[in-house]
Amino acid sequence: MPPARRAAQGLIDAVPGTAKRTFGSGVHYVFHFNVVWDHWRDLAGGAWLTIRLSSLALVIGMALATVCAYAKAAGPGALRLIVAAYVEVIRNTPFLVQIFIIYFSLPALGIAVGANEAALAAMVVNFGAYGTEILRAGIESVPHGQIDAARALGLTRLQTFRHVVLFPALKTVFPALASQFILLMLASSVVSAISAVELTAVTNSLQSTTFRPFEFYFFATALYLAMALGFRAVLGGIYWRVFVRGRRS
Amino acid sequence: MSKHLKHCARAMLVAASALLLAHPASAESTLDKILSAKKLRVAIDVANPPFGVLDKNGQPDGSDVAVARALAKDLGAEIEFVQVPSTGRIPALLAGRADVTIASISVTTDRAKAVMFCNPNGALSITIFGPQSVHIKTPADLVGKRVGITRATLEEATVPKMAPEGTKIVWFDDLASTVQALLSGQVDAAAMTAFAEKTVSDANPGKHLENKLLVTTAFYGPIVRPSDFELRQWINTWIFINTQNGTLAAIYKKYTGVDLPPLPTF
Repeated sequence: MPPARRAAQGLIDAVPGTAKRTFGSGVHYVFHFNVVWDHWRDLAGGAWLTIRLSSLALVIGMALATVCAYAKAAGPGALRLIVAAYVEVIRNTPFLVQIFIIYFSLPALGIAVGANEAALAAMVVNFGAYGTEILRAGIESVPHGQIDAARALGLTRLQTFRHVVLFPALKTVFPALASQFILLMLASSVVSAISAVELTAVTNSLQSTTFRPFEFYFFATALYLAMALGFRAVLGGIYWRVFVRGRRS
Repeated sequence: MSKHLKHCARAMLVAASALLLAHPASAESTLDKILSAKKLRVAIDVANPPFGVLDKNGQPDGSDVAVARALAKDLGAEIEFVQVPSTGRIPALLAGRADVTIASISVTTDRAKAVMFCNPNGALSITIFGPQSVHIKTPADLVGKRVGITRATLEEATVPKMAPEGTKIVWFDDLASTVQALLSGQVDAAAMTAFAEKTVSDANPGKHLENKLLVTTAFYGPIVRPSDFELRQWINTWIFINTQNGTLAAIYKKYTGVDLPPLPTF
């Protein structure tokens, strides 16, 4: 046993009761956490796909949300209606159903789409809708006088949106966007349903081939928690860098 | 802290640890519990035709369900179905949510490391099937093909072993998704039981689905938690009686349309 693994096993053994637990109905289940270490490469690969899908969905989804929020705030009437319909349809239907529609119906339209691409598309579309609504709230919080002043100074509509409206709006709603993103990252666990091999898919496969469900589900829970806290820390750093320190200099 | 308080605290600690550690030496067996509560909790998978399905009224039906009902009747117990996906068949049992799983679980040595098998009550074949337009005649033809399989099934345990390197195996969480992937063209072929294959082919004549390869044939039986020897022995006795009197053969014939092969015991 390599030293790192021995140390980790030591930690597990040191916690009283981790080796053997009795469930409520008197069911005995002996924990074998060794099996988790044996498959750490698979689990890391799954977690890595979860991180990649979530990060890409954040970047592309934010761009989509910004465009949609602008269209909703300043676009022509027809465009506003289309954006409103998109936001309402996505926010009022289950994420799993959205994933199934993209994955199973696109091939019927002659569009070849793999599981990972379908998962990413669904996550972008989903985050885009929630992001649009959150950004809209931020945009509405910008005082109208500020916008009038920018227009009076000769800035175009787009320039006003970019420099005068978007920045303070983003600062106001950043915590809400960060929370929505964490929800999306956790919701990405359901894309295993369309055969994308992210953390939950790997966990499901491992538990069904090793028959150690509790070990793998506990470990996956810990990994999701670590990823959520990690993403929160990164987003907190971005907030500080862009909106706190960036403003001061 | 006064001496009295210290004594009190120590006594409470001892009492608390006794409560935590105590495990009655003569614990009631699962069979005793079923008999005294007159209730049998059976984990079933209703997304696995013809073994487990939901009928028109949303009630569980299928050969596994019929076996479970007959077994509960002879136990004198009311039946409570615990519906699980294929991936939940063993976890639901281990977590104590069900007393027995009757969900056409094929006997494998790997599964026997986690749960105890009763004697087999049926047999099934795993086959690979797909549209006529997809050319698969031998295992070697699988190279480069996308083959859909369902997690926690016999096909998951056997197809990756028989498929040559270069086969793109695609995993789904339940049979319904695997079937949908085949029908929508997300996979070139799919592996499932020959019975499920027939159900899917009959329901989709326009897709021209055909049998390509036989992967394996296996026997399946009920599973109980490790150490539930009394319950296993009772179920084995029940299977013996109902093999002799033809009940199991009648159920199998009714739902699968084929004759039950001679059942081995172990």
